[in-house]
Amino acid sequence: MTVAPPTAKEGTGGRPVPPSGWLAWVTSTDHKRIGVLTIATSLVLFLVMGTFALTMRAQLAQPEQHLVSTELYNQLFTIHGSGMIYMVVTPFAIGMGVYLVPLQIGAPGIAIPRLTLLGYWLYALGALVMLAGFATPGGAHADGWFSYPPMADSVHSPGAGSDLWIAGVFLATTGTIVMGWAVLWTGLRKRTHGMTMLRLPVFSWSMIATCLMVIGAFPALLAALGLLAVGRANPAIFEANVWNIGYQHLFWFYGHPVVYVMFFPYLAAVSEVLAVFSGRRFFGYRGTVLSLLVFAGLSMSVWGHHMFATGQATNDYYSLTSIALLVPAGVEYFAMIGTILGGRLRLGPPMLFALAFIPQFLIGGLTGIMLGTPVIDYHVTDSYFVVAHLHYVLFAGSAFGLFAAVYFWFPKVTGVMLGDRAGRLHFWLLVIGTNVTFLPMFALGYLGMPRRVSAYASFEGFGWLNLLSSVGAAFLAASVLVFAVNVLWTLRRRTLGSAERAPDDPWGGHTLEWATTSPPPRLNFTPDHPVPPVTSFAPLLDQRQRREEGAAAGDGSRP
Amino acid sequence: MIQRHIFGHVFALEALIAAGVFVVVLALLVYALLRRRAGRQATASRRTERPRLEAYYVAVLTAFGVFLVAWTAWQNHREHHTAERPPVRVDVSSFQWCWTFSYPQAPQRRSASGTCRGDDLPTLVVPTGRPVKLRLTSRDVIHSLWVPELRYKMDAFPDHVNSFTLTLDREGRWMGKCAEFCGLRHHTMHFWIKAVSPEEYHRFLQGQQGGGGQGAAA
Repeated sequence: MTVAPPTAKEGTGGRPVPPSGWLAWVTSTDHKRIGVLTIATSLVLFLVMGTFALTMRAQLAQPEQHLVSTELYNQLFTIHGSGMIYMVVTPFAIGMGVYLVPLQIGAPGIAIPRLTLLGYWLYALGALVMLAGFATPGGAHADGWFSYPPMADSVHSPGAGSDLWIAGVFLATTGTIVMGWAVLWTGLRKRTHGMTMLRLPVFSWSMIATCLMVIGAFPALLAALGLLAVGRANPAIFEANVWNIGYQHLFWFYGHPVVYVMFFPYLAAVSEVLAVFSGRRFFGYRGTVLSLLVFAGLSMSVWGHHMFATGQATNDYYSLTSIALLVPAGVEYFAMIGTILGGRLRLGPPMLFALAFIPQFLIGGLTGIMLGTPVIDYHVTDSYFVVAHLHYVLFAGSAFGLFAAVYFWFPKVTGVMLGDRAGRLHFWLLVIGTNVTFLPMFALGYLGMPRRVSAYASFEGFGWLNLLSSVGAAFLAASVLVFAVNVLWTLRRRTLGSAERAPDDPWGGHTLEWATTSPPPRLNFTPDHPVPPVTSFAPLLDQRQRREEGAAAGDGSRP
Repeated sequence: MIQRHIFGHVFALEALIAAGVFVVVLALLVYALLRRRAGRQATASRRTERPRLEAYYVAVLTAFGVFLVAWTAWQNHREHHTAERPPVRVDVSSFQWCWTFSYPQAPQRRSASGTCRGDDLPTLVVPTGRPVKLRLTSRDVIHSLWVPELRYKMDAFPDHVNSFTLTLDREGRWMGKCAEFCGLRHHTMHFWIKAVSPEEYHRFLQGQQGGGGQGAAA
């Protein structure tokens, strides 16, 4: 037997590490790998934060129940909220942008790939640091996701968990900002030949508007966290009202735009799904693009509506800017409804989630207008009404958009189809769970249940509504379990080679990512799969229509 | 109870409008689901936009937004309109984790506090039919005074005094709560607000009758 030639280099394609190994994954500058890492990390954290929520719902199912101590309960709601906002819904949205924007604009890669990878690592490290608070003697931070001083200072929250929370959120947000810059720069400067700004797909446009808000508003959070850190070193600072109310202004200058950062990419994913599964071009494209930009601009002027009850904000002004948001929001609904009214609907799993998004998010949006009205807000702010509102926006809305996106792009990302029947089961359980969990919370808040309470007295009459809500949470748990099993099972079958192979374009897509292979090659497009001519924001639809017209004109031989 | 009245009006109107919008959107969605299914031989439209319809629609939305902002701002000002008569003053001091109510107009300094443990809740006593100005502050962290029955709350900050005026038109006793998360016993930081007749309030101020002491029951 002859000695085998040195083949070590061969399997690695000339790279220092083999491309399929874990080391290559975590050091890759391929935007697709960074995107998948970001999305997978946020999905794992989604499960963790979800179990915190289930624990809280278990505790609140009955009055005066103490399954967990008040200390732990306060940590759970803090880390649930912080985790979902800073480490799950926002990074997932940006991660989608990292994965999809270069593909949608026909670019071979992302701008500033190494910094993008750094952004991911800062985010992952931040999440770990925040969660590490649970391992400290005093437990994790316990002052809610907006952590107002003086409650969050070192006198009233002395534990190291609070310091870790500040450090973790700071790191993760820095990472998000870096990734946001990369996606924005890519969308603006890396577009392929013919891809004018008004030929950008709706999703890419939404990422541009999103990243504008990221770079415009997220630094305010870093400033707020910096203020908190200084105040923990010297709590005397927060004896003066100016820094307490100043913190709130800084925080909400970030805290409202981030709501739209957690909304636009999912809205746009829903829009893409609606258009593709309606078999037509997205309706009212230009109005939607304009409304996204108006929305992003206005988003930075509305923060004071979180402070109506402080007695230290100009309520009329913030009410004006907040209610003005109904105009761009209405335009987006016009486009979504218009798309399906003129469509030929196919009800695959992505479409189910996208369709449910429309009425469910609307409940969040309409109650948002109510909360933007000071005389209503005085009563319901800081109550379960707000909890219901924000979960309708972020869960009944964004999470449905998230799942629509997962079912829609899973074949492109992995090369295999995600289980269809499990998808439908996941969907129906999620619809039931979402509405049974969050609808009663509107009534609870209206009746006088404050948010962030670890228990309530039996005579207050909140018992059965809370029980109903907790029953709904069980449906949510079952639903997410079905989803997790579906994804893991499909991936397992992919490894075994028995999963259903995904074609390049399983749904009849409109945008450029469906023109390349599933999964896309390292540089996205190859001579076998070149970038098609970009003739509109739905180039693949144009191509199909040209072919049909050609066939109809008896010129079927034209490619 | 002007806050409660105004809240009731504005909430009812906005809830009604919201329900209307929701029903319209849901109806369009259901229509599309029923009539535009691929199985029903629907053909996809090639129309890309309807700018004229959209412009009218935006105009309607804008007009509606203007109405909503103006009308609700007017209601907000109506609610905060200060009465001509000099109000009864009560100083409210919040702390981790209870409340102190003091009555600066009483002949002898009078105040009520408690521990907010079990039944030991302090009672805020106010007269009916007269404006009551609450001056609200905090000794430590931010709290928020909320009386769900009155549909109103306001935050209490350290190093800052917020004030608002209440008028109760009937006698009764309702529970108030802290609405801003303030630490370990935030969830039990309750108090009673008790509205009594002006005569009884006068007697209370003179210290002749309890009602503001250690969680005196109504």
